[in-house]
Order: sequence, then structure tokens, then C-alpha cells
Amino acid sequence: MTTDIATPATPKKAVTKKTRAKTKATNNRAAVLFFIAPFSILFSLFYILPILVAIYQSLLTVEREGTFGKPTEVFGGFVQYARVFQDSSFWDSILRVLGFGIVQVPVMLGLALLLALLLDSPLVKGKRFFRLAFFAPYAVPGVIAAVMWGFLYSPNLSPFTAITKEINFLGADLVLWSIANVVTWVFVGYNMIIIYSALLAIPSEIYEAARLDGASQARIAWSIKIPLITPAITLTAIFSIIGTLQLLAEPQVFKSFTSAVTSTYTPNLLIYSTASVPNVNLAAAFSVVLALFTFALSFTVLKFTQRKAD
Amino acid sequence: MANRIARAGGALVLVSALALSACSTGAGTDGGTDAADACTPSDGPVTLSFTTWLPGMEDAAAIWNEQNPDIQVEVQTGPNGLGGTYNNFFNQIEAGNAPDLGQIEYDALPNFRVQDGVVNIASCEGVMDAQDEFIDWTWSQVTFGEEDSVYAIPQDTGPEALFYRADLFEAAGIDIPTTWDEYAEAAAQIREEGGYITNFSQSDINAFAGLVWQADGQWFENDGEAWDVTLDSPESLKVADYWQGLLDDDLVATLPAWTDEWNNGYNSGEVWSWVSAVWGANSITSGAPDTAGNWAVAPMPQWNEGDSAAGNWGGSSTAVLKGSEHPYEAAQFALWLNTDPEALASMNATANIYPATKTGGDLPAFSEGLDFFGGQNIYDVFAAAGAEVNPDFTWGPTMTQVYTDVADGFSGAISGSGTLTDALTTGQQKTIDAMKAAAIAVNE
Repeated sequence: MTTDIATPATPKKAVTKKTRAKTKATNNRAAVLFFIAPFSILFSLFYILPILVAIYQSLLTVEREGTFGKPTEVFGGFVQYARVFQDSSFWDSILRVLGFGIVQVPVMLGLALLLALLLDSPLVKGKRFFRLAFFAPYAVPGVIAAVMWGFLYSPNLSPFTAITKEINFLGADLVLWSIANVVTWVFVGYNMIIIYSALLAIPSEIYEAARLDGASQARIAWSIKIPLITPAITLTAIFSIIGTLQLLAEPQVFKSFTSAVTSTYTPNLLIYSTASVPNVNLAAAFSVVLALFTFALSFTVLKFTQRKAD
Repeated sequence: MANRIARAGGALVLVSALALSACSTGAGTDGGTDAADACTPSDGPVTLSFTTWLPGMEDAAAIWNEQNPDIQVEVQTGPNGLGGTYNNFFNQIEAGNAPDLGQIEYDALPNFRVQDGVVNIASCEGVMDAQDEFIDWTWSQVTFGEEDSVYAIPQDTGPEALFYRADLFEAAGIDIPTTWDEYAEAAAQIREEGGYITNFSQSDINAFAGLVWQADGQWFENDGEAWDVTLDSPESLKVADYWQGLLDDDLVATLPAWTDEWNNGYNSGEVWSWVSAVWGANSITSGAPDTAGNWAVAPMPQWNEGDSAAGNWGGSSTAVLKGSEHPYEAAQFALWLNTDPEALASMNATANIYPATKTGGDLPAFSEGLDFFGGQNIYDVFAAAGAEVNPDFTWGPTMTQVYTDVADGFSGAISGSGTLTDALTTGQQKTIDAMKAAAIAVNE
């Protein structure tokens, strides 16, 4: 309603603004700089700078003489990167999280999509309650969720020992999927909200038209809703892929519940333990390679889905 | 306009990059000399920061602060060393804002020295004279056996003995094992009773090192030119084979150490004994409260009948960290903390530490029996064990990495892939690789 009043006034204002912009261009630039300064300063300090530090660190190598000589950092070129590519445990960990992602991401997004469609369908009652209920696990911090599930899985301390004594959820065969379950539990609601808000943005005229054509709810969901929210699904997929490659908290917590999670179980755990040696240069090189790999994978998925959409 | 903004952003990045390179030039300018660092008193009153994970260190510091108004010590507590404090120290040393004093275990001291993280306080007043006050092997841990080198003041030791459930052993009619062979036999008998003789921890590699230590093994040697890594020495493999045998026959529990599951194992009476250090008394008292009064302590089982060899697990020192502006005052505090009877009594009262001084065993607290152990004076056993610890055990310069990699291997062995021996041979190679990656001279 406010827009109705505001719209007629807009053209007039725009004209005056345009002329003013031409005469006082310098002033405007100063204002723009002023307003983006808080963002750029924080962005540079806490985002760009750490990345530059990491890249810089990854190009250094340590030299020392004898057994207890003092370490001096010298430029080493790509020495650390050579170590990264020779380190089989790093690539094993990447393969492990990729396997994890191939199974877990589709399951999680499938569930999120299903829940979002159910919430959006006119057949479901109590939408507000369910929307909050599905979203609630995301409000639990990841570490807390992992600790909680760790106890649930534990063969001796679980409330469901009848099951956990029979099936070893924390054993070497299953623990990856036990972690996948925790991640899914936490993030389904989050992804559901993103998909659900995309569904709300679809104009209701389209549904009316579909209903006039005699489409069932299932048909509307399949042929109208899903194609229209593909961008949202792609977005959640990219986020999930990045999240998968960066798995740290859950396996870190599970380390204290099971011997099956090693210090090189995921790439980030490996980086963490390398930094603890401490070998910051090698850890920085691992981080840079992981970041590049994540970029590459995310863009591949993006390209792939876009081409499909065209 | 966009161009201008881009340039402004570029300038910001450039400034940050300059700041960064300024930082890094500052870090690399330390002299290459190995001589003891100069140590002179500071002018005027100083405040020292001290990071430790011993509970109740504030009490000891309060005693010092009252006696030394010009040298005030502020205590910060952190998680235990491998649990995060060492990580913090390394980062703080790199950033140049480390605390003046830090608690460092003997096994981590070479790591800090190789990273140039600890100050050589040998030339500080009174430090060299204190040598005679400390148990010989602890002094050689902080001096690395070198002249004119003292990198920390010994604090406590962890001589090992056998904690066992006296009531359960007696009820089952099993004799307390005095050799490792008898221990394995007892393990089989206890398994028939439905219990486990002990828990094999896949993560406490320093405890395993204590067992190797007892078996007269070595993991590292330093001839001054390069390191020898001997994780796969015959003694080390002998200990690994022994425990692998117990694991294969399902005679030991494999609960993750220091977890609620582990506490539950001891508290419920499922696990009957534990070869651990003197400070383990504290862990068992708090972890298994329902078993109070039923425990007792005996000397470690021996490889050769009639021997009295003992291992050591843990023990800390107080080091002056690199970057401290007051090494003299810090050294004075470290000396006082670890030799003054009042300070030792305070730390013993709050954290059960067993002092590294030769007279530390004379503290009144050590002459009393403990109710939790059925009134036994367990410290007599540990004092005897402390005298039998091989003084020449050498820790390597990357123990954090060794522990992580061997623990990965041990975890695998427990999950059924590989053996403890495999873990040691893999750990051997990974250690050599990690040392090379950190430019530490190592013989292959």
C-alpha cells in the first residue's frame, strides 16, 4: 500500500537526484567510500589478510642447523605444495569426504526439499509448528549436536544400548555414516528454510493456472515448484559441498567416542593436526590446496547445473 | 567511481600486506647463538603471566605474591598441554605475546626448544646451583644433558605403578602379578570372571612410552648432529607384541581414555587394574567414586622376575617462554615454585603433584594413608618406583606429531586394521618425514 503512494513521486525525485549527482560527483564518491569503509576494512582485516597470510606462509620453509639449531623461515617456493601432493593421507581424506558428500548431500537436500514441499502444500495443517520443529536442530551448535549423538551411539552409555550393543555405530565401517546422520540432522532444517522461502516467492497465479488445467498437487510440485526453485536447490547444494569438504567439528568430537576417527580423517582435521606439530607452513599449504579444490568443485557443480537448466 | 573504489580496496590490501611483511621480518631476526641468554634483573616492579593447567595454582602464586610485592605473578589456566595449551603457546610465541612462564611436560620440552620457544635460563641467578635439589633424571630432561643449558625448572614426576582392585583380585583368588607373564595369566583369569584386567588406551601414547621406558627402550637419540628415531627398537616392539597379544585374545578393554565410558568401565568394576603414574590416583578417585576403599597400589609388573624397573608417565616443568621481558624474575619464580616446601605443599594439596625435588617425598601429605586405597600409603610405592626410572630416556623434537600418528595406528589396530607393531613402524616413518618437513636433521 505504501508503494502505491510512493510510486508517482519517484520519477520527479529521480530527475533531481540525477542532476545533483552530475554536479556533485566528487562529494558522492567520498560518501560512497565513507559508507563502504566499515565493510572493506573489516573484510580486508579478517578475510583478505588471513588468506594472504596463509598463502604467504605456505610459500615459506624452515631451515635450521643441527638438532636444536634455531629455525629461520626462508622463501621455499612450492616446496610445501610438493609435500601436499605427495601426502597420501591428505588425498585419502579428500576422497573420504567426497564419498561422504556424494551420499549425504543428496539425502539431506532430498529430505529438505520434501519437507519444504510438504510445508508449502495446502494439505498440511500446523505449518508454523512444523516449520519451527524442523528448523530447531539447526539452533543446536554443531559441537553440542555431535556430543549428543556421540552419547546416543555409544555402546555402553546410550539410552538405546539394546541397539547400540548390536550395531556398532562408532566402528570403522559405520562411523562415517553416523557422522553423516548428525550433519543431516543439523542441516536439513536450515536447507529446508532456504528452499521453503524460494517456494513462497512463486506467484500464486501459476498454481491457479495449473489447477485450472487439472494438475494434481503432486504434479504441481514436480512440474512447477521444483523447476522454479532450482536456483535455491543449487545454492544449498553448493553450501553443502563446501560444508562437506570442511568437516571438522563432528569428526573432532567423535574422536573422543571412537578409535575409528583418526587425526587425518577429514582434510580439516589433518590441517589441524599439522598445525599442532607445529608446522604452520605445511598446514597453510594444505589449506590453500583445500580451498582451491573446494572452489573448483563448487564451480563445476554450478556450471553443470546451469547448463542443465539452460 | 567503481574504479576508484577498487583502487581504495587495493590500497587497503596493500597496507595489510605491508603490515604482514613487517610482522614477518620481526620474527626471523633472532641470533643463532646457542649460549645461555643474558639474565639480569629488571628495574622496578614487574608483573609475570604464568599459564598452567594445574588446578589451584592461584594458591601457590598468592603465597609468592605476598612475599614478593615487586614481582607479581598472574596465573592463567588452560586445557592440558596436548589438549590445547601447547598449541596456544606455539601460536603465542609466533605472535610474540606468549606468557612469561608456561607449564611444559618433559616430553614436549624438546619440541619447544626446536621451535625456539623457551629461554635458556642457565645464567639466571641460582638456577645452576639448584641442580642438586632435583632428581637426576628430571634435571637431565630440562638440560638435555648439555653444559650451560637449562630450559626449564622441573616440577613433578610421574613414576608408574600398578593400581588394582584389591577386593576383586582377592575375591577371585588371583595373585597380584609381579611380572608381565603373570599379568597376562591374570588377564585370562579375570576375563573368565567377566571383567578386563585393564584398559588399553589407543590415545595415551605417552603411557605406552612409559612402558617402553620401563623395558629400557628408547624412542629417540640425539648425537648433536642428527636425531635417531627408534620407535621400532626391539624393546619397543617387544612391548607392542605383548599388548597386541592381549588385544588379540580380548583380554583388555579398549575404551577411549579419559571419557565417561572409561570412567564407567572403572566405576562399574568391569576393569580391574591400571598401570599408571602417581597422579593417576587423582584420576581414579574422581572417575570411579563408587569403588572407594577397594583399590591398592603395587609395583609395576616386570619383564624379568626379581627386577624393579619402573616407567614414567608425564611430569611437568616450568619454562620461561621466548619473548618474556623479565626472564630473571620469571626464573626466580620458577625456582621458588618448584623447590619451596610451602609452594610444593600447596600444589600437592590442590593438584596432587609429586615434586621433582629429592626431598619432595618428605612432604607431610605423603606420609599418610589414603582412604580411597584402603588406607594404604601409596606414595611409598611411587617413591620407590621413582628411584628406578631410567634417567637417560630421550624425547624427540616432534612428540605431538609422534603421539598423533602412533595413536592413529593404535586406533587402527583396535578397530582391527593392522597391529600395534605396524603402528610403530608406520609412526617411525611418519616421524622421520615430519622431522624432515620441519628441517630437523634426522638419520634414516
